[in-house]
Amino acid sequence: MDIQLSIQKLTKRYKTGDGVSDISLDVQKGELITLLGPSGCGKTTVLRSIGGFLEPDSGDILIENKSVLKAPPEKRPTAMVFQSYNLWPHMTVFDNLAFGLKIRKMKKSEIDQAISEVLKLIRLSGSEQKFPGQLSGGQQQRVAVARALLLKPAVLLLDEPFSALDAKLRHEMREELREIQSNTGLTMVFVTHDQEEALSISDRIVVMNKGHIEQVASPQEIYDEPKTLFAAQFIGKMNFLKGVVTNGRVMIAQLAFPNSKNLSGNVTLAIRPEDVQLFDGEEAGLPGTIKHIMVLGHYAEVSIDLQGHGIIRSFRPRDQVNDLRTGQHVKVNFAKTLVFPTV
Amino acid sequence: MSKQTKMGILGLLLVLPSFLVLFVIVVLPIALSFKESLTNASGGYDLSNYIYLFTNKLMRSNIIFTLEVTIISVLLILAISYALAVYMRFNNGAVVQWIRRLYMIPMFIPGVIATYGLIQLLGNHGWAARILYQFGIESFPRIIFDMKGIIIANLWFNIPFTTMLLGSALSAVPNSVIESAKDVGAGTIQIFFKFILPLTYKTLLVGATFAFMGVIGSFTAPFLLGPNAPQMLGVSMEQVFGVFQQKQLAAALAFFTFLLCSIMGFFYIREMIKDEGVKA
Repeated sequence: MDIQLSIQKLTKRYKTGDGVSDISLDVQKGELITLLGPSGCGKTTVLRSIGGFLEPDSGDILIENKSVLKAPPEKRPTAMVFQSYNLWPHMTVFDNLAFGLKIRKMKKSEIDQAISEVLKLIRLSGSEQKFPGQLSGGQQQRVAVARALLLKPAVLLLDEPFSALDAKLRHEMREELREIQSNTGLTMVFVTHDQEEALSISDRIVVMNKGHIEQVASPQEIYDEPKTLFAAQFIGKMNFLKGVVTNGRVMIAQLAFPNSKNLSGNVTLAIRPEDVQLFDGEEAGLPGTIKHIMVLGHYAEVSIDLQGHGIIRSFRPRDQVNDLRTGQHVKVNFAKTLVFPTV
Repeated sequence: MSKQTKMGILGLLLVLPSFLVLFVIVVLPIALSFKESLTNASGGYDLSNYIYLFTNKLMRSNIIFTLEVTIISVLLILAISYALAVYMRFNNGAVVQWIRRLYMIPMFIPGVIATYGLIQLLGNHGWAARILYQFGIESFPRIIFDMKGIIIANLWFNIPFTTMLLGSALSAVPNSVIESAKDVGAGTIQIFFKFILPLTYKTLLVGATFAFMGVIGSFTAPFLLGPNAPQMLGVSMEQVFGVFQQKQLAAALAFFTFLLCSIMGFFYIREMIKDEGVKA
């Protein structure tokens, strides 16, 4: 597949010490890649550098194999959807959409047709003469996406575009964006700190932390096989237990777990709550006491005190917690564990 | 009495004091001036004072002079203030810091002192003329007792406040609006004319209204710096009222000045109403 965007050893440092270091990333044509990480991890710095709003200290950015580093934002083959919509309040929806096309000296009839089509795509036909202030948040964000789509950019940049919307609308917008992406085949770089959003829309996720990349992989791979302790911590819910490597196996109390990375010394074992198994037979397991049972719709979260090894959570189908009660002694084992060096 | 009626009466009572103050210090004097301006020499009522205002050569030249000074001053005030405000909004560094520190200073210097300072600086034998003389430049343009002197004084008095107004409007234009304009391909000139100017023109209009009213009704600077003839309307009014004791003609001049200000006010209010209409 063709590489549409290539970030090579990008470094940008701020006076505060934040920024990004030595970021390298290739994005395939037609791919939707998400930069995911906590606030201050550098994801917006990378995005703004691609868009030309920040000048990196070093490194290069190539779009369609051409360096765009020296080009100002208005000359780059990118378009950006901003967090705060950024529709121009003094212009109607039509004018907001037409502005970029007029700059590109498109004919009036072509502009009219393109706007009519894009408004149909975002289900806002008939809103041409409305001002942004007369639209809801979701509608404004759809217009912002449409404005960017109309420019037919080589790479569409989205900076936490749904963060200002309520949960329901956010969910709807994710689906719409994914649909637009599959219809148009656009290459998209999406920035978010919301892991659920990243998991639901991305072809690949770039997990970032403290200005560097922790892992680049598909959502499933990141969820199942996080490469670093941070990625494991940041994506989905995870339990962590301290263990020691003895004779090549990770030991917690008297139980042995696989040491897939051949680590030694103190290690951290990471277990997804759905991989925590509870039983009360004679089989080997860590002894624990149930602290809380919280029914969360179709499943329940059971907190278990592992007597000196911390508290872990187990997700169980709702019908499997009917026999459990707070204070009950149980044994715990894990269907799958991941091992990381203790930091 | 229903609760709604009681609230209505309470509302009226709350508005009444400010309405009374407005009535006594604005509406009543205007009405009395208008009545006075219609009074002729024999005590009857007609438009003779207004006819004199527009047919007398000196009065006509005073009106034209006032309008010239006002329009030139307002345009220069807006241009310089907007340039300063834009520069401060979109730049950083030592120059901006200095402008920020200095541009408000004229607001804290009394008008008479500032006018005296301008006479000392720009008069025929003032500092500027003497300094230029040292460099061999012997001719110095007539600035004091001329339209130019009044305009320079108007700039001194009005630029600080207008810059402050425009600076606040420009700081309300988010960087993100400019970034998104750049993002779709707009260059510097397009950004200015399509985004910055349309998003701040209402404040520009407010600044123009304040500057217009301040300049057209000014007295100190035109009195101390202006020529003997023609005169600004404020100075002319004082002369007609104080020296010639023509109270009715002075009232006509005052009412005419008020009408000029009202025209400016009308455009300002019309724009504001239009804006409210769009928001609704």
